[in-house]
Amino acid sequence: MKTRYFEYFIGPQHPGVTGNMSYHLWARGDEIVKMEPSVGYLHRGFEKLMEQREWIKNVPMVPRICVPEPDVNEILYAMGVEELAGITPPERAQYIRVLVLEMARMAAYLFYFGGVAGALGLYTIPQWTIGDRDYILDRFEELTGGRIYHIYIQPGGVRRDIPEGFRERVLKLMDYLERRLKDYDRLMFYNAVVEKRTKGVGVIEKEYALQMGVTGPNLRASGYPADVRKDDPYLVYDRLEFDVPITGDGDIYSRMLQRRLEFEESIKIVRQVLESIPEGPIMVKLPHPLEWKVPQGDVYVKVESSKGEYGYYIVSDGGVKPYRIHVRGPSMPHCFQAAKEKIVGMRIADVPVMIFSLDICPPDIER
Amino acid sequence: MSVKSLFSPLDAIKFLFKKPHTVRVPYEKKEPATRYRGVHVNDWEKCIGCGNCARICTCQAITMVPIDTIEPKPGTTNLRPQVDYGRCSFCGQCVDICPTGSLKLSTEYLIVSPNREDYVFIPNLNRDSGPGTGWESDIETHLLKFDKEEMPERLPEERKKDFDPVILGFADEQAVVEGYRCLGCALCVDGCPTHMFIPEYIEKIREAKYKDALDIFFKNNPLPEICGIVCTHNCEDACIYSWRGQPVQIRYLKGFGASKVGNYGEVIKVDKEKKIGKRVAVIGAGPAGLTLAFYLRKYGIEVIIYEAYPEPGGMMRYGIPRYRLPEKVLRKEIEFIKSTGVEIKFNTKVGREIKLKELLQEYDAVFIGVGFHRGLTMRIPGEDAVGVIQAADFLRDVSMGKEVKIGKRVIVVGGGDVAMDASRTALRLGAEEVIIMYRRRWVDMPAHEEEKREAKDEGVIFMTQTLPVEIVKNEDGSIKVVKYVKTRMVDRGGRRPEPVPIEDEVYEMEADTVIQAIGQRADYSLLNEEFKGKIQLDERGTRIIVDENGMTSVEGLFAGGDVVNRRGDIVSAIADARKAARGILKYLGVR
Amino acid sequence: MGIEGKIVEDIVKRFGDKVRAEVQRERRVKFYIDPINIKPLLYYLKEKGFIHLSSISCVDWIKENQFELVYHLWSYEDKVHLMVKTKISRENPEMETMIPVFPVAETYEREIYEMFGVSFPGNPNLKPLFLEDWDGPPPMRKDFDTRAYVREKYGMIDLTEILRQGMDKIKGVRDEDEIL
Repeated sequence: MKTRYFEYFIGPQHPGVTGNMSYHLWARGDEIVKMEPSVGYLHRGFEKLMEQREWIKNVPMVPRICVPEPDVNEILYAMGVEELAGITPPERAQYIRVLVLEMARMAAYLFYFGGVAGALGLYTIPQWTIGDRDYILDRFEELTGGRIYHIYIQPGGVRRDIPEGFRERVLKLMDYLERRLKDYDRLMFYNAVVEKRTKGVGVIEKEYALQMGVTGPNLRASGYPADVRKDDPYLVYDRLEFDVPITGDGDIYSRMLQRRLEFEESIKIVRQVLESIPEGPIMVKLPHPLEWKVPQGDVYVKVESSKGEYGYYIVSDGGVKPYRIHVRGPSMPHCFQAAKEKIVGMRIADVPVMIFSLDICPPDIER
Repeated sequence: MSVKSLFSPLDAIKFLFKKPHTVRVPYEKKEPATRYRGVHVNDWEKCIGCGNCARICTCQAITMVPIDTIEPKPGTTNLRPQVDYGRCSFCGQCVDICPTGSLKLSTEYLIVSPNREDYVFIPNLNRDSGPGTGWESDIETHLLKFDKEEMPERLPEERKKDFDPVILGFADEQAVVEGYRCLGCALCVDGCPTHMFIPEYIEKIREAKYKDALDIFFKNNPLPEICGIVCTHNCEDACIYSWRGQPVQIRYLKGFGASKVGNYGEVIKVDKEKKIGKRVAVIGAGPAGLTLAFYLRKYGIEVIIYEAYPEPGGMMRYGIPRYRLPEKVLRKEIEFIKSTGVEIKFNTKVGREIKLKELLQEYDAVFIGVGFHRGLTMRIPGEDAVGVIQAADFLRDVSMGKEVKIGKRVIVVGGGDVAMDASRTALRLGAEEVIIMYRRRWVDMPAHEEEKREAKDEGVIFMTQTLPVEIVKNEDGSIKVVKYVKTRMVDRGGRRPEPVPIEDEVYEMEADTVIQAIGQRADYSLLNEEFKGKIQLDERGTRIIVDENGMTSVEGLFAGGDVVNRRGDIVSAIADARKAARGILKYLGVR
Repeated sequence: MGIEGKIVEDIVKRFGDKVRAEVQRERRVKFYIDPINIKPLLYYLKEKGFIHLSSISCVDWIKENQFELVYHLWSYEDKVHLMVKTKISRENPEMETMIPVFPVAETYEREIYEMFGVSFPGNPNLKPLFLEDWDGPPPMRKDFDTRAYVREKYGMIDLTEILRQGMDKIKGVRDEDEIL
């Protein structure tokens, strides 16, 4: 009896996967020859569910599509419906939305650092980042009433105004996070073990990334400066000043460093927003919550999430319920094209690190 | 980057004295934020059971459950929301749509129990975390618009000079916006005396399907445009918005919808020639009589109306002035009812030209809808002076086009809608000063708020807590001065306070005309001696008692309108007439 | 005429009346084309710089008996998003695969095959993606009733009926005997 390849099944419950997903690996010795991702554990059928509910009733359902960063779905739904119906939300609401999105991005990046370091075996970092992320979730709880699923952004504006003292607390939090970044640098990035294991491993070249639909920080880590906030500005990003850093190597270390540099940019944006937020109303009321008919048409809206380009394609036939909503998650090309092809030739122990570094999130592959 | 120096790990000493930020020992409970969305809290006193929280819940977690111990006030139901916490996602949209603000999410979030049933319950005030905490309902961030679209009306200085209509009517876009405020919960249907299908017709009006709306009106009400201008809007008082904001303007939407159909005959088909051999006499061509005639004509019964005055309409014409209810609206709706084959004999008063007994012999059934056209007197000395008139007679004479001399200063005694109408009519006839004397306070006045406001804007002077006690006459019988006293209010518990006159100070005022508008009664001269014993009246002899079919204690004699009900408005007359129509059809064996 | 106008002009010049263009707003352009001509159009657009295929969407227009496929393209240089739309028949729906043009299309087509039943001959990997042991029709089609399927297969109570009965209690007096 001869066995040619050893089949591994890194299953849905495993510290080496980023969510509920599984990988089927074929290895020869220590080298991977084939990888098949197997998804389907989180398919909740959101696109069909959203077709059966009126426009306003989809608002509490939409954040549950992506678990680490729910606000992206809320803002996309709101932007799509507003564009179809011709509603312009007030200025103050747009600034508050930017604040919420950037804080969500920071929380997602902290989660990411914890994930990659955990895959490498350095468990101090997840302990720190989850603890620090908790402070961001406390601010969300104060602003929106919920820690993870905020259900705060709805078509027309946001649901409640900024409470007393919120601004000062968030600025204090930004200062705290800036100080902590130095600790993270020393622990994670100036770390010989991390450098040895991640530099030069899992390289995605720029041309490959552009062709294969890799977007977001992964693309910028491969050397191309594309950011939806700059290329296709939405909300008030065209009035805020921030840079788009690139680290050009395309390996795992680059991807980690990329997100670390963008973390600082997010802090900058939050400080600008809190300084220049205008007074005014926070929402525009919809004509009728249950019988509102959105005019016929279709739109494609997209934002820059912490994982990449997140898009919604919304089709309305003039009725009280959406006709079709198609969610474009950033992780599908990352998982099924980039990860699948670039893992071939890597060692088994590097597979979880590669998966984590691409920030593949199963909920938005399968919605 | 590599390790900087041998001593850099000593930097970790800074963590030695830091407090842990995750779990602390001894245990400190984490307080939820002020706005945290936890479990539901519902104030059963404020909750009206409208069911809108159940309609918007996207997880279908709320069911409306009847509670037997609650006695619902009019305009509310005894249903209360029951929440299933296996489905609830704590989004708070139910709070954002609750019209009264009774539902809220508190900051409590712990429910621990080994039984599955404990997770489905009817929230009350048990788990409240206090006012100002949790997710509360707030008018600005609410999903509903609490402000109404303003109905355009003419300015007071301009409109008090003529009898042209005061209300200008909605523009088309206003009707759509106002129509979209209606949620469709249908609590108003119980408020309406004739139970019109309000959410259905509002939906048709906001989609501009006016003919379909007219079809829905006529199921319960054959005078939609008249009601759409002057109804007392009991439906709006029951509307869910009226608790914290301004109700949907159901009355004006109905008037708007009816005004968009020029010829009712295209939509409502009643065969003019249909006859099944039954004949019914109706006494009084007011709203009750006309409604009864219309519904009986649908079944082919021959209807003849005996009207004492020269024109049809009853109180609609002779009680409501033309600046409130324009002539062309009256004519349009009454002509349509006549066109269904109803015959009206004018200037024919039952009791004078023809006797009630003859009607009962000649016809298969008779309906009394004579209304309250006889005013009450103040019963003070000197009220027989020339210039002391009844408001009902005054308004009737003005509507008939007769010339009425009222002089310069007019005093109107009374605080109801009739007093408002009389005073505003007096202004339009050229009086320089019109004063309303009412014996209680402004807030106790039974007139509707908008009538009081419109009268005040036009310059009518209100003297509240004022009671006339004597009228001093000149030699020729005209009024010299009116003597009056002030009153003080004595609380009587739940009822309206008693006005007690302050006898010490008596004031005097000159006046040319005194109009009495303190109440009206019916002219029961048609019930002569023959019927005095047979027909059953209430204990004061004011109203006729009818059973649930609208029939009086005399066989074949029905009654409705002001002579029967206590509310005294057009829509109650229409409701009584429909009840009597059902009763007559049953009595005649037709249905 | 901004960049969107120039792109429209270019495509219309090349493809004539086979394609219909519409500028929705800045950075959004739509093209309507027949299924036969879509591959040359996509090849041409890719040469013009639209190298990023964001996604392929499918919309079920059941009343017109058609499926609509929308290809979302983005150009990093021009920064314009295109929606290339084509309609195919709902009976035996089929569309040739775009893998030669955009290799990323493989997974998107796999999902549409599973959810809508549109087959893409030439795609080597049309295996089930999300649904395991699925025995029903393609679930995202408009004629697939999720509630009916659940009721049949699992025998579960439908909550909608209970809720509707509860709401009827509120509806006010609706006594049909009252109507004359």
